[in-house]
Amino acid sequence: MSTHKLTIEFIINGQKRKIETTPFTRLLDLIRDDLHLTGTKEGCGKGECGACTIIMNHQLVASCLVLAPQADGAEIITIEGLGEKGKLDPIQEAFIETGAVQCGFCTPGMVLAAKKLLEENPHPNIEEIKRGISGNLCRCTGYKKIIEAINLAAKRLTQQLEEEKGKEKNV
Amino acid sequence: MKRFGRGIATIMFGFGYGEGFPDYSVASIEFAEDNKILVRTAAADVGQGVLTVVVQIAAEVLKVSPEVIRIIPGDTHLTKNAGSSSATRQTFFTGNAVKNAAQALLSNIYHYASIEFRSNYAELSVKGGYVFRVDQPNNKISFWELAQKVKEKGEILRAEASFFPRTNKPNPETGRGEKVYVAYTFVTQIAEVEVDTITGNVQVLKIYTAADIGKAINPQNVEGQIEGGAMQGIGMALMEEQVLKDGVTLNANLTDYLIPTAMDMPQFETCLIEKEDSDGPFGAKGIGEPGTIATAPAIANAIFDAIGIRFYDLPITPDKILKALKEQKDKKL
Ligand code: FES
Ligand code: FES
Repeated sequence: MSTHKLTIEFIINGQKRKIETTPFTRLLDLIRDDLHLTGTKEGCGKGECGACTIIMNHQLVASCLVLAPQADGAEIITIEGLGEKGKLDPIQEAFIETGAVQCGFCTPGMVLAAKKLLEENPHPNIEEIKRGISGNLCRCTGYKKIIEAINLAAKRLTQQLEEEKGKEKNV
Repeated sequence: MKRFGRGIATIMFGFGYGEGFPDYSVASIEFAEDNKILVRTAAADVGQGVLTVVVQIAAEVLKVSPEVIRIIPGDTHLTKNAGSSSATRQTFFTGNAVKNAAQALLSNIYHYASIEFRSNYAELSVKGGYVFRVDQPNNKISFWELAQKVKEKGEILRAEASFFPRTNKPNPETGRGEKVYVAYTFVTQIAEVEVDTITGNVQVLKIYTAADIGKAINPQNVEGQIEGGAMQGIGMALMEEQVLKDGVTLNANLTDYLIPTAMDMPQFETCLIEKEDSDGPFGAKGIGEPGTIATAPAIANAIFDAIGIRFYDLPITPDKILKALKEQKDKKL
């Protein structure tokens, strides 16, 4: 393998980063090992489990199947990009409240899959939620509480939106 | 054509290592400077929630809010043996060890407080991290102040306790014995399935579970264990098969070894039976493995109900079903 190095630039969780990498580095390794964002997990490394899910250019992708140079110029969200310091994202909150986290290994991917789903479809029914997370395996929960969490988050986010709209009107 | 079937299975599960094995757990509790209570336990929380459960138990016994409690988890420098997170044993063993430690600490609180108050223990009570005289509730001292006072005497306000029950080996000839395991969890599950006779596919529609778990210390966790366990049982019944050849696993990846996804999830209906009839903490029993065991036989029975064919080896995959349906048809002709 050549030791050829190249520099790529991208925006990750709202931050611009410039980093040296190789043509053979997986985006997953770049995120975990070079950027130390270890919220993204590696399960299978083959695109089957969804543990490595990130949002790249508004698409849900398995970062184990993406080569780092492909992220040049991209906009990336990892689990660390959700919520703010001391304040969780409503999806994360709902996961905790409903008991949707057991070992937690699938959770970052699940939360991002939920985020993507709710952006596209703010009022999903149970079947649509199931389909939305069908690329993310969970060995612990039996999925029921994860689905309940996403359902709860959907309700809360809609409520939030309506409240914001109400405020705008009053202004 | 889709055929509906319903099947039932009941299991009993003796948990802990049992059979005379020296199975125990040690825990200790002490006061931290920042107004927290520290529980030391090596019990590994792999997602089943044992640390949540021990926080609840310590808070319940010491009558403080769970937020006050902090865990010092497994570390060979800092904790003693709690045994493995296996055999469905942690809530029972470490739950009891923490409960015993909390009770021992509580008695020490009463002991030292009665000296402080120049009073008898029976005249004292605790609440919200304070110990006080019942007849003068405003005359109170916080646990941490008390710990400081004890320290000034050159002693430490803390407690360590263990849970080390005795079990017996069963008679090798009869398989019978007195208290071979610490306790038994009973689970009955009913599976409702739909068998597609054209594709051989089985869809599990609903799993009803009734679990005798003694006491659900954290009902949400218990449900989570049952739902997750049942889902693994569905995988075991219908899809999960390790293919070995010459000692080598041919499908050691998630492409060929299929586990259930959210699309395979049935409806779950769970009923927890709380008889508080064991020696577990507050009567609790283990639910880790029992959640998995009844599912596959219930599904196999449901498939029999749907198409009248018994399967004796798992997983009951579509190809096995189609082959059996063909044989059934050929026999009838
Ligand atoms: S690690 Fe990428 S899909 Fe499993
Ligand atoms: S919580 Fe363990 S894999 Fe989902």
